[in-house]
Amino acid sequence: MGMLYCLMSMGINFIYGIMKVINWSMGEFFMIGSFAQYLLLLYVFPVRFWYAGVVVAAAIVFVLGVVVQYLLIKPMFVGIIEAKMEYATIVTIALSIFLRNVAVAIGGPYIYTPPDYAGPTKLLTLPLSGNRVIALLGAIVVLGLFYYFIKKSWPGRAFQGVAQNRSGIQTAGVDVLKYDMLAFGIGTALAGAAGALLAPVFLVHPACGAVPTVRGFEIIVVAGLGSIPGILVAGLLLGIAESLGSAFISPSFVDIYGFVLLVGILLIKPYGLFGKPERAV
Amino acid sequence: MENVMHPPDDRSDSGPLLLEVRDVVKKFGGLIANNGISLSLANGEVRGLIGPNGSGKTTLVNLITGMYEVSSGSIHFSGRRIDGLQPDVIASLGIMRTFQVAKVFREMTVLENMLIPAFCQGQTRREAKARADELLEFALLTRLKGKPAKSLSGGQNMLLQIVRGFMHKNLQLYVMDEPFAGVHQSIKGIILEAIRWMNSQKGVTFLVISHEMPTISNLCSKVTVLGHGERIAEGTLEEVAGDPRVIDAYLGG
Amino acid sequence: MGCSASRSEPFEPHNSKTCAASTSLLSMNTRLLKTIGLAGVLAAALGFPAVMSDYWTYVLTIAFFYAAMAASWNLLAGYTGQFSLGHHTFAMISAYTSTLLMAKAEVGFGPGIAAGILLAVVLSWALGVVCLKVHGLYLALITWAFAEVARNYLRMHFTFTGGDRGLDSALLFGTLKPLPYYYLFLGILVITVGIIAVIMYSRMGYYLRAIRDDAIAARSMGVHIVRYKVLTFIIASALAGMAGAFYGHSIGLISPVMGDFNEMAMIIIFVVIGGMRTQTGPVAGAIVIRIALELLREQSEIRIVILSILVILIMRFFNGGLMELVHRLPQWLHLGGRESVSAYDK
Repeated sequence: MGMLYCLMSMGINFIYGIMKVINWSMGEFFMIGSFAQYLLLLYVFPVRFWYAGVVVAAAIVFVLGVVVQYLLIKPMFVGIIEAKMEYATIVTIALSIFLRNVAVAIGGPYIYTPPDYAGPTKLLTLPLSGNRVIALLGAIVVLGLFYYFIKKSWPGRAFQGVAQNRSGIQTAGVDVLKYDMLAFGIGTALAGAAGALLAPVFLVHPACGAVPTVRGFEIIVVAGLGSIPGILVAGLLLGIAESLGSAFISPSFVDIYGFVLLVGILLIKPYGLFGKPERAV
Repeated sequence: MENVMHPPDDRSDSGPLLLEVRDVVKKFGGLIANNGISLSLANGEVRGLIGPNGSGKTTLVNLITGMYEVSSGSIHFSGRRIDGLQPDVIASLGIMRTFQVAKVFREMTVLENMLIPAFCQGQTRREAKARADELLEFALLTRLKGKPAKSLSGGQNMLLQIVRGFMHKNLQLYVMDEPFAGVHQSIKGIILEAIRWMNSQKGVTFLVISHEMPTISNLCSKVTVLGHGERIAEGTLEEVAGDPRVIDAYLGG
Repeated sequence: MGCSASRSEPFEPHNSKTCAASTSLLSMNTRLLKTIGLAGVLAAALGFPAVMSDYWTYVLTIAFFYAAMAASWNLLAGYTGQFSLGHHTFAMISAYTSTLLMAKAEVGFGPGIAAGILLAVVLSWALGVVCLKVHGLYLALITWAFAEVARNYLRMHFTFTGGDRGLDSALLFGTLKPLPYYYLFLGILVITVGIIAVIMYSRMGYYLRAIRDDAIAARSMGVHIVRYKVLTFIIASALAGMAGAFYGHSIGLISPVMGDFNEMAMIIIFVVIGGMRTQTGPVAGAIVIRIALELLREQSEIRIVILSILVILIMRFFNGGLMELVHRLPQWLHLGGRESVSAYDK
């Protein structure tokens, strides 16, 4: 389970790495991805091709993300806006509220059930929902692709460069603004993909982005901003904590275990396990 | 270009040392920004700190003013050890600094900017305002008194930054990081006048980083040259200009 | 005040002395105007219940609560630049503390509410110290985490706290009629705004604004960043706690919904729309928007959509919110404007 939320965290972290901005509306992009997937499966693709739906849904979210970035975030970097961090936080929070309520206004506060990806299966002796398994596999695939993209491909390494040294890489001739847009788009697309993958698990409704957002941020807080492998580790840790806690202590407290872990880690390392504090001056 | 200097050399050699930097090393991970630098300022000096880009000047300034902690070595001010102290404590000891990029409080008015260091010292509002008015008048910034600092030009902000430091009643050491960079000639003149006046009338010691050699030679009796994180020469500007190591540092890159 | 404010006298010789005189006269007039305005608003507020229905009195009471929350958050975020996303949590925690103490330990209102505020102080002190070491965005994350942990804890521990069902709280005035609560929260609002005003007009206010504008520069000038950041955090959270504790005893029912992220978002909306760097902005924003929300009860989503668009637009283009609109109005109407937008302007 933790793996899936990793997708969200990856998106958040990626955007942060490039633009030093935390996008609080990731949950809403997740939700859009879910809705898109639902509609796609309903009208366009047969269920067997659910993965195609995921790709298209992610693409749609990508485009949306780029548009949002262009309108809202880019001005931060072109010198128009003054208090940058404030601005980013407020705007992304407002955006999330906006998107959520627009969704309710358009589709009504109903819950939609997309068709299952696969029937229930069994892993050893534990019954598992087929949807979750598929979603997990899908998440791993996406994460893998993302990892490969960042580490090996040319644009991926350009992204790394922007994250590490924004002004430096500009002198090398890289158009950071364009990469900003792409990064935002990719980050949100990751959330959208997560949404598409998890559509049958969480069902599709306007507020379905809330829980994943919480989990996604949990992972970020534990892992710290700025480290990609850290996210994976944190995701695993949180997933394990949740499962162990539910199994051994009490299932009703399920939300808490992740947070307990979170608090514990924060006390020791306020920047998260792998976070890199920004240097003053 | 006449050398309009107060007699510096007498003062530099007598009296206790105001600032002593002893063998200071600063590492950032694998990068050694300052490699065993030693420097001493006597009371009343106007010292220049020069060197090519990346030679560690700003790092040294940050170490002196408490922004960074030394990796090894020590810094002493009036005999008291100050490395490891927080910047606000160091400020209260009488050390002010300016930044390469003018750091003013943008949303606050020019006057309010001036009041901050005074308040930190415990001056009353009336005192502080009077002093601020004086200084602003000297700096020809009076008519901008009530405007938010963000509406000032870069050069004006640099000037504001500088006179803001003068609000400190017991200012002893003023460290300036590139105060003349990109600044209009008239403003540069005001800054020079301010430095000279403060030095001769109030005995404030200055450490000025700059790349502008004519200004430095006009202003400073002695300069210290940094290169590649080390001190490579010290003396009057004429002396160090001829030093082969200095030439090498600037041209060698 | 800037001297070139006298638009009506373009050919006046630029004599600094007369300039100073004329601007101080101008500021005297505006100050007088402001005080009169403030007194008027206060008088109106005091008299409202006489002419309003119980329903609207109730609406305003809740609006006052949110106004107090908005004002105290503004102290933290607007004036000091500490962007806390856990402000509402302190209100919730104080409410629960007071309610639980009264219910389980049978203490009176006084000790209950005091304990609530005290807990808010202690927690915010701890949180403040932890958050000191980290930078802006991390503050948001950590306070967010804090908010979620607290909220979930209260939900989960339902044997003790009633969980999602909520907890019944002893009513302060023993009745559900809105009248006494109206004045109570009016008082709370006045106290909150008053405390904030006192702070902002004092030296501490200067330091706070300096810290917000440029913490590094402030430090180099001698401002004790640590002390003031934590102090502000504690004061703001204590104010939120006070409002929250009283809120619990006024509504009669508290639930973890108080700590929901939506509440925090609403506070942010109030402050942004009202004007982040002013003192009346958050209050005006909260009250105006709450009233508007009531009036538009029917289209419940649309109203929020509009609100969020407003917020985005304001941040993008207009940064000062409602209050800046009010300030700029005289300029637009050519009544002679003012140049400096010092935080002293109400």
